[in-house]
Amino acid sequence: MSAAPPNPVFEKTDRHRRDAADGDDVRTVKTDAADSAAPGPWARLAGNPRAMLLIAAVLVAIVSAALTGSGAWPADLTVDVRSPLDDLNRWLVDNRTTHPLFLYFLLHISNSAESSVDGVFSVLESLGFIGVTVAAVLIAWYAGGAGLRRRALRTAATALATFAVIGLLGMWEPAMETLALMIVAVAVAALVGALLGLAAGLSDRCQRVLRPVFDTMQVLPAFSYLLPFVLLFDIGIPSVFVATVIYAAPPMARLTALGLRGADAAALEASASLGASSWQRLVTARLPLARKQMLLGLNQTIMMCLSMVVLASMIGAGGLGDEIFTALSTVDVGLALPAGIAVVLLAIWLDRTTAAAGEQLEDPAAGHRPKWWVLWPGIVAAVAGGAVFGAVIGRKEWPEAWTVAISEPVNTVVDWIERELGSGVPVLGGTLTWSEGFANYVINPVRDALLATPWWALLLVAGVLALRTGWKAVVTVVLSLAAIGAMGLWDRSLDTLSQVLAALVVTLLLGFGVGILAARVERVERVIRPVLDIMQTMPQFIYLIPVIALFSGGRTAAVAAAVVYALPAVVRITTQGIRQIDPSALEAARSLGAGTGQQLRQVQLPLARPALQLAVNQGVVLVLAIVVIGGMIGGGALGVDVVRGLAKGDLGLGMTAGIAIVCLGLLLDRISQPSAAAKERALS
Amino acid sequence: MTATEPVFSVRDLWKVFGPKADRIPGNKEYAALSAEELRKQTGCTAAVRDVSFDVHKGEVFVVMGLSGSGKSTLVRCLTRLIEPTSGRLTMDGEDVIAMDKNRLRELRRHRAAMVFQHFGLLPHRSVLDNVAYGLEIQGMSRPERRAKAAEVAALVGLAGLEDRRPGQLSGGQQQRVGLARALAVDPQVLLFDEPFSALDPLIRRDMQEEVIRLHREEGRTMVFITHDLNEALRLGDRIALMRDGGIVQLGTPEEIVANPADDYVRDFVRDVPREQVISVRRAMRPARDGEGESGVALKPETLVSDAIEAVARSGAYCRVVENGRTLGVVGYEELLAVVAGLDDEAEPEPSKVAAV
Repeated sequence: MSAAPPNPVFEKTDRHRRDAADGDDVRTVKTDAADSAAPGPWARLAGNPRAMLLIAAVLVAIVSAALTGSGAWPADLTVDVRSPLDDLNRWLVDNRTTHPLFLYFLLHISNSAESSVDGVFSVLESLGFIGVTVAAVLIAWYAGGAGLRRRALRTAATALATFAVIGLLGMWEPAMETLALMIVAVAVAALVGALLGLAAGLSDRCQRVLRPVFDTMQVLPAFSYLLPFVLLFDIGIPSVFVATVIYAAPPMARLTALGLRGADAAALEASASLGASSWQRLVTARLPLARKQMLLGLNQTIMMCLSMVVLASMIGAGGLGDEIFTALSTVDVGLALPAGIAVVLLAIWLDRTTAAAGEQLEDPAAGHRPKWWVLWPGIVAAVAGGAVFGAVIGRKEWPEAWTVAISEPVNTVVDWIERELGSGVPVLGGTLTWSEGFANYVINPVRDALLATPWWALLLVAGVLALRTGWKAVVTVVLSLAAIGAMGLWDRSLDTLSQVLAALVVTLLLGFGVGILAARVERVERVIRPVLDIMQTMPQFIYLIPVIALFSGGRTAAVAAAVVYALPAVVRITTQGIRQIDPSALEAARSLGAGTGQQLRQVQLPLARPALQLAVNQGVVLVLAIVVIGGMIGGGALGVDVVRGLAKGDLGLGMTAGIAIVCLGLLLDRISQPSAAAKERALS
Repeated sequence: MTATEPVFSVRDLWKVFGPKADRIPGNKEYAALSAEELRKQTGCTAAVRDVSFDVHKGEVFVVMGLSGSGKSTLVRCLTRLIEPTSGRLTMDGEDVIAMDKNRLRELRRHRAAMVFQHFGLLPHRSVLDNVAYGLEIQGMSRPERRAKAAEVAALVGLAGLEDRRPGQLSGGQQQRVGLARALAVDPQVLLFDEPFSALDPLIRRDMQEEVIRLHREEGRTMVFITHDLNEALRLGDRIALMRDGGIVQLGTPEEIVANPADDYVRDFVRDVPREQVISVRRAMRPARDGEGESGVALKPETLVSDAIEAVARSGAYCRVVENGRTLGVVGYEELLAVVAGLDDEAEPEPSKVAAV
């Protein structure tokens, strides 16, 4: 273990080793999750060498765990990475103002980032709350089709409600800070993403280089993006800006490339057959045909920017995230909630506006909105009018008298929840009792079993699990796990891993259950779909607030947040996967008289297997992202190292933990990835 | 017809897909192999295999074959949308293969326009802007090209639909847009790549009528790709029948139906109602004593199906008369032999395989 002071939650748990029976339990759960269609007759199993190999590896792990009872990474095999990182940090701090790399390159980035965010913020400030609200409403209205039709009015109303509630909650000032940062970050991220997407969409060589990079970036937790830039730019807006742009640009790039590559081949050929030059073809056919995908990319980039800008409050983003961060570190739900609501509303407003613009493209009757040269001057004039009006009546900031303080009542409610529902509820127990029980009877056994297994046995199991995806994956997985051990973070990483596995099992049980139900019962699907829509747009940080209210922190709270965060994606992929199977196969089964269970077991689940594997993969990635953030609310393990490293300026500690998180992310993704064959099937 | 200068002249054209494709054309060893064997031995697919033909001015030249016979590749080679592997290709005597980028672009913009099986319309543009697309690429000003496009749209029966988006049109209407887009640039040749196979039979018939009408009115040269024999027979002045990349037989519909070059073609045309394709010139027998002087006169190109009616009315036989001279006569036996398909073996004339 590293020299960092052990985390309090970690200390409290009983450290005595469990016997092998627990290990057995845990491992079966794990293999089931990764290889969901394993059960079958023994003969079939024997004919499948990979399954046999996996069983053998698991048996070796269990037996070795039972025999040795302790499997920590050997101290001789660790490498001290923290001191060089500390040295690097010291060197950077000393040279930040003098070294040419900074003088001629990095300082330009950081200065222009800072000044443009400041600039946008002062524009927002000078518009005043009336001007900003008018602008937001009109932009939403324009995106919705700029008319009196329902979509335009609805998006406009969403914008109005968003900004009014933000003002009422007294969150105007921080919301404008967040918005200023967002505007700059989204503009740059979308531009960078679009350019990379153009490169990847038009050149096969670029695509070959960029795609694996984007794939990998997508599975890394947002948390791990923060530290490297703090190292370079120190805490503050520039780090936030660069981290956000790098985190949020890939979806734009990926979808742009996808759109350009997926453009209707017949239309492109028609364009060529009429003698279009390659530039004409790009501008008149290829780009317009990719518009829808690009807009989807912009939507995702915006949502990821918001998520990151809020999360990056840890490295000095300020704004709404900072309010939440401060409140969470003192476990003050009442203080966190207004900022949380403001973030949620911003997310809904941004999502609805971009989604409306996307629907607008689809809508055949959309051609009839007024010309842009009528609309835009009108919008600008209205915004300016609003700003001037605000200035004239002397109200630029949201008036103090128009705010509603909800912190006090919220805290009263939270106290009541903790008092009344926390423990001592007859029969049921209560949330705090559950939380403790879950930590003691689920997370601890998993962790102890992982710790009891010798390191080489874990490497073996991980390697064999990755074999399904291919040899490259095996190498990645084994190296990642070995790197974790070599950095001396073996125990802490397994602690994180145990939370991830516990959360994953719960997520998959719930997600598959709800997903199957929604796929079979139309009404359920109709009810949960809007809920899923909203949940999927929420920034990660937000999920910590309600679980704090219920479980008041700790590992169970982190796991609960992770489950809630990952659930929508798992449910959605499961439902879609089951619905999209060949209807004639299901019809054939039904015509042969198959019952509901038979249809599900024999037709729907087997055919939806690629989708279910994808759901597992997504579940793992999303769960990990939240579990590490959960370090902030007492989840401990790697997440708390990152937070502590940031808080104390101990970048050696934070960076190693960050690297371990990256390794863990790669490991979990490669293990759970659908096999190459399955991917092919899902794509075709 | 052969007297006029050919629009397209294609000689020994090859298109081979696969690694080191250049070595296949002209290689005696590979030439003997079947498509399957070639793929096994070299990893290459010869989509177009040593094809030669001329397309004459004003004719409808149909290339027909089953899927995978190379016909779509062949038509794309004509404007080098697919680059031929080897061979010679001229348009109006000008070497197309030797054209540089700009020259080729000129050819595509002004001289040959194509109609596609899957329409290839731009969904974000209105019908009018889709029709005007080719003109826009040529650099024509907006009002000018829209006026021209409106004219052409009306010509193909799209009047009133100009402001719709392609997504709001039926398949037949969409293909009319595709046709109008090709016509708008006023090309010398229209290339059709299975334009109607995605449409349902009734609409397909409508569209075929439309093409026949356009051809009658404007006399534009057309190269028409299809896998539908009836369509080929309906539209084609001459038909090239393709199989495995090569032309198996080239001739008028009548020649192909009456004189199949081999068993493959014979099999292909087996179900064709022969009386609707074969003329009395082919069905007649020499006039015997005195028959040449009296009786109902028919033109030599009269179809057997029409002759049946005439013979039935006259009760005996009809004369086949050209320029006042009796060429021969047709009676019940001759006409029935055509309907029954017995005339094939009796025909002494050698078949004109791939005659250019």
